[in-house]
Amino acid sequence: MSATRFTGHADYGVGIGLRIPHYQHILDRRPGVDWFEIISENYMLDGGQPLAVLDRILERYRVVQHGVSMYFGNFARPNRGHLKKLKALTRRTCTPWVSDHLCWGSVDGRYTHDLLPMPYTWEAVEKAALNIREVQDFLELPVAVENVSSYAEFHASEMSEWEFLNEVVERADCGILLDVNNIYVSSQNHTFDPLDYVNAVPAARVAQIHIAGHTRHERYILDTHDHPVIPPVWKLYKRAIERCGRTATLLEWDDRIPSFDEVHREALKATKYLPDEKANAAA
Amino acid sequence: MKKRTPPRRTDTGLDAIQRLMARAVMRPLTSGQRSQRAWVDGSPSAEIAGSFIKPNDRLSSFERLQIYNQQYWWRILGSFQEDFRGVCAVLGERRFDHLAVAYLEAHGSTSWSLRNLGQLLPAFLENHHALTAPHTALALDMARVEWARIVAFDDPALPPLDPATLARKTPATIRLRLQPYLTLLALAHPVDALLRKLRQSSAETGTASNAVGASPRRRRPVVLRANALPDPIHLAIHRVDLSVYFKRLDLEAFTLLTALNAGASLEGACASAFAKSSASAGEASAKVREWFATWTELGWLAKG
Repeated sequence: MSATRFTGHADYGVGIGLRIPHYQHILDRRPGVDWFEIISENYMLDGGQPLAVLDRILERYRVVQHGVSMYFGNFARPNRGHLKKLKALTRRTCTPWVSDHLCWGSVDGRYTHDLLPMPYTWEAVEKAALNIREVQDFLELPVAVENVSSYAEFHASEMSEWEFLNEVVERADCGILLDVNNIYVSSQNHTFDPLDYVNAVPAARVAQIHIAGHTRHERYILDTHDHPVIPPVWKLYKRAIERCGRTATLLEWDDRIPSFDEVHREALKATKYLPDEKANAAA
Repeated sequence: MKKRTPPRRTDTGLDAIQRLMARAVMRPLTSGQRSQRAWVDGSPSAEIAGSFIKPNDRLSSFERLQIYNQQYWWRILGSFQEDFRGVCAVLGERRFDHLAVAYLEAHGSTSWSLRNLGQLLPAFLENHHALTAPHTALALDMARVEWARIVAFDDPALPPLDPATLARKTPATIRLRLQPYLTLLALAHPVDALLRKLRQSSAETGTASNAVGASPRRRRPVVLRANALPDPIHLAIHRVDLSVYFKRLDLEAFTLLTALNAGASLEGACASAFAKSSASAGEASAKVREWFATWTELGWLAKG
């Protein structure tokens, strides 16, 4: 449901992450791409090349901001300095929504720069929802929270991950960035049926979907974003689209990044699952 | 019948879990890139992990926590090495890793961005010579230049000075600022030349996302060595058209710019620049005019 209040009522198709190795290709060749997702933190700067490139991209393309260190699940409140920088960037990009992860990552001012998993407790539900509301109010933009891949589970958990996600987004009244690769990775690491997760998510809140590849080790899977999307993840994507309708979709490819054309081709495989805009509007 | 000990359970509060896990995640790895078997109080780390993390049929609690411990260090060391490839090439990878862990334990990231991670490295090296001996002076020069390069890459630019405004004022009243992205360094080693050698194998990267790596990042090792020069070089690290450059300066030009940056008037800065010079007043004046033409063209001067 791409054009919802969680996406600023904008309809987005299939985008890819804006990455440094592709800068020159994009600026020189100006390929047709529905939209780019940027990592906000890479552009929350005061000058230099990153912002200059971003400004040139913004002249031609729609850009949506995705963050990696707001840490909605932190016990502490969101960092005000971070929020101010983020808001300044949203004014520059005119992003219709902002996304970040439902996780934690810093304690007492020390940052791990990782997306650490939440204990699925009622206390964590309340805390995360409060933090998301604060961010949403400060930014004056819709926020979508992304489910993360995880490699550990807590004794303290009182519910499943999807129950936790649903409780948080209802209390925060925010959107969901549904990462179907993360669902798959976690399902393999924690032994659950990933379709149960996809089927349980409130479809009306899904603002965006992430697809990506990962790396399988002997005893666990790592979310490495360095491979094409595998068939079981496409299957989850198909099911998510059946439930959510046409939804803004983004391929993440962050390591061992191939050519722009290869990444874009991989992303566009999603179009075969997406209803066209007219069909979606009629529905 | 032997009495069974109930499993250790940690406080289930969100703050307690996050503090405990953060501590575990940020503990240095062993030389074999594994989590330490003993916890900070000497008890088994496996027991601590088991107190708050569930095992599954393939991994113990300790092994599951170890994944995060490894990812933390591989990510942060990878970023640090990317920023200080020159220091790494001076010390060699093993000693650089040792230095990096010592530094990052003392100055872990306190920002949402990894950009500032190495800001305090030059000061740290000044106080921890054993970590870099016998290459301390070269490593320190290299760290200063590599941090200055980060500053030059993305620090803000102020509106450049309109040269016409200089002509309308007397030198005693002119105060100028240098661009925030410009750093001036006096160095004992030809670090600019050494870093050019490293450039061939460099490729800029950025934080793409928090996707994890399957193993620590490694580049082909490069070794950089240089003896101290008979006289120091004076280097400006700056940017032009969004690219970072090094520019060697005469001592007098360096002194003048440093004085301007410290808030001296143009007249005062010129006086300090030529205080020990044998140049005549005419020669000094010609030099200053030439320098200002270059600096204005490069955009180094901003309104005071």
